[in-house]
Amino acid sequence: MKNARTPPGSGASWLREEARLGWALALPALATIALVAVFPILWTFWESLHLHDLRMPWLGRPFVGAANYAEAFGDPRFRSALGHTGVFMTAAVTLELGAGLLVALALDRVSRGRGMVRTAVLLPWAIPTVVAALIWRFMFESPAGLASAALVRLGAAPPTWFADALAAWIPLVLADVWKTTPFVALLLLAGLQNIDKALYEAADVDGAGRWRQFTAITLPLLRPALLVAFLFRALDAFRVFDVVYVMTGGGPGTATEPVALYTFSTLLQNLRFGFGSALSVIVFVVAFFFALASIRVLGRGAFLDGPA
Amino acid sequence: MANGRTWILRAAAAAVALAAGGCARAEPHVLTFSGSLVGREGDVIRRQLDRFREANPSIDIALRATPDAANLRHQLYVQWLNARASDPDVLQLDVVWTPEFAAAGWIAGLDRFEPPVDQFFAAAVDADRWNGSLYALPWFVDVGMLYWRTDLAPRAPRDLDELAQLARRAQEEEGVPFGFVWQGARYEGLVTVFLEYLGALGGAILDDRGRVVVDSTAAVRALTYMRDAIDIDGIVPPAVLTWQEEQTRFAFQNGQAAFMRNWPYAYALLQDPSQSKVAGRFAVAAMPAGPDGAATAALGGSALAVNAYSEQPEVAYRLIDYLLQPEQMIERARIAGEFPTRPALYETRALADALTIPLADALKVIERAVPRPITPVYSQLSEILQIALHRALTRQQEPRAALTEAAAGMRALLAKVKLGPLASTP
Repeated sequence: MKNARTPPGSGASWLREEARLGWALALPALATIALVAVFPILWTFWESLHLHDLRMPWLGRPFVGAANYAEAFGDPRFRSALGHTGVFMTAAVTLELGAGLLVALALDRVSRGRGMVRTAVLLPWAIPTVVAALIWRFMFESPAGLASAALVRLGAAPPTWFADALAAWIPLVLADVWKTTPFVALLLLAGLQNIDKALYEAADVDGAGRWRQFTAITLPLLRPALLVAFLFRALDAFRVFDVVYVMTGGGPGTATEPVALYTFSTLLQNLRFGFGSALSVIVFVVAFFFALASIRVLGRGAFLDGPA
Repeated sequence: MANGRTWILRAAAAAVALAAGGCARAEPHVLTFSGSLVGREGDVIRRQLDRFREANPSIDIALRATPDAANLRHQLYVQWLNARASDPDVLQLDVVWTPEFAAAGWIAGLDRFEPPVDQFFAAAVDADRWNGSLYALPWFVDVGMLYWRTDLAPRAPRDLDELAQLARRAQEEEGVPFGFVWQGARYEGLVTVFLEYLGALGGAILDDRGRVVVDSTAAVRALTYMRDAIDIDGIVPPAVLTWQEEQTRFAFQNGQAAFMRNWPYAYALLQDPSQSKVAGRFAVAAMPAGPDGAATAALGGSALAVNAYSEQPEVAYRLIDYLLQPEQMIERARIAGEFPTRPALYETRALADALTIPLADALKVIERAVPRPITPVYSQLSEILQIALHRALTRQQEPRAALTEAAAGMRALLAKVKLGPLASTP
């Protein structure tokens, strides 16, 4: 400290050199990040300010300012895609957290064959999403499929799942829940096992019932794990693409089309680079602020509850 | 994340361009062909290219595999040609892509080679013209046709109402689960089915001057007719709303449907007793007309074009000319079941022997062939229409509302694209 305060002395230049060395050492990493993350984002943003349609090269690539953004916000298909994404996020994440918690609590109790049980639970997570989505599609697609046949046996008339704007959501959400609940369960299980068992013993001594123990000990102490699981799942669900692409293709009509699928079809199928880039930038900004907010909440939660 | 895609795409396009450029420099005499190379189509093209090579030893030919799904091939072509790749030299184009590629300057005008256009079906050649110039030549034609069960109906239906009656009777009296099946998933196939109903009821997507008329009363009636066949008449199962060609063929060949709308490819497969329960018990006809229209068959098929950036357009055209010779077309008909584009061949014994489908029946349908709108922005128009049709058929919107919205979207698009003849649209 004394050295640092001494004016023009050798200490300050040493510090400067140290800092320079630090930057030099970090440079390759920073350059890589700039190349693979910052540069594409900036380029996409620049692209989004142009009219650039690969299928209409005669229009050239004029600078159009915010016109693509204006089109996006006035586009009913984009607005409803945002709505569909919200619906999917809400339904899937809620069910996944609920089911994941139940599975985690059950797994926490298992004492014999623990490894086997955990492996078995994790299986759906290990199956590639596209394969899982195809399996679920087959179960719902044909009138002879598993889901429809089961409903018929119960005496109900099954809908034509993928031709019904509301019913189509059921297989979509179910497939996603089936696929990712194990992931949530595993995260929560880790959280459960971090809770000091002495707390439950003390609660037993104090005469607290199971429910009271759950609400007063388990849930509050599980909060960091729940938040992590929520953050991961919500961000994933916001970007949902493969399940929908395989199962409904966004249909019937565009009734189940999420933002990522609309962006994909605009950019890669219709090759509208300008407009598609604008959609990408909007998605990026939303995801970025969502992540930022979650990390702040999470950070606070972790510091408050973590050391307990 | 999505925002990385532009970059990846550009890098890929650049890499393709570099690779293509490099190839062209290293082996100046290699002519490249790209198109459908799988299954029977692949067998035919390989045979024919081998023969071409033998006849022209100075020319070496390489095949460029492209995805079999039309939309994926389209996407790849657009990326290649945007990068001005000189390879592939010869492109197999879906019939609806020619105006788009021509307007973009991606394919070379063929008029200077003075091709014998009057030897091909006029409707097919029309689809290969843009702004009065010829940009491709028709390789084979596809037409939407009505498959009907000869054991369930006394004759091919004469109009749409008779089709509905016969379908219902087959369901009620013969216990056939489905009266009529067609392709109702949200994809290009749905537009072709709609085009046939549209023609049957006297409507159109664009009029002669390129103006959008898909919100006309006739069009609303056509779409309502399709929807009611599912919801009110119950002759078309709601499951078709997720079906493409193959699902309808499976239903028909298992004896579950009395009528089916499909392309000619299904004929040979349905006649194969090892997989079909209806072999020898079906025939084909044109989709019947309705009250105010004419029997209409959607025109599909492929054309051959020369890459505008090709370094050897003359050689490329020689290959196209070779592939379009009667001999090659008949071989293609025999192996892949695809219809030649030369009307004269339909009077020959050779073609009658090559095709499983009776020649007279095929010709009757081809005569009713109507192309889809000939415009560089067809793919975009089609996407707008697919969504509107599917919304109406799945009861998310009334047919009139859906088509009004689609027409507005199409008009806005056409106004934006600033094309010569289309710009005259008021």
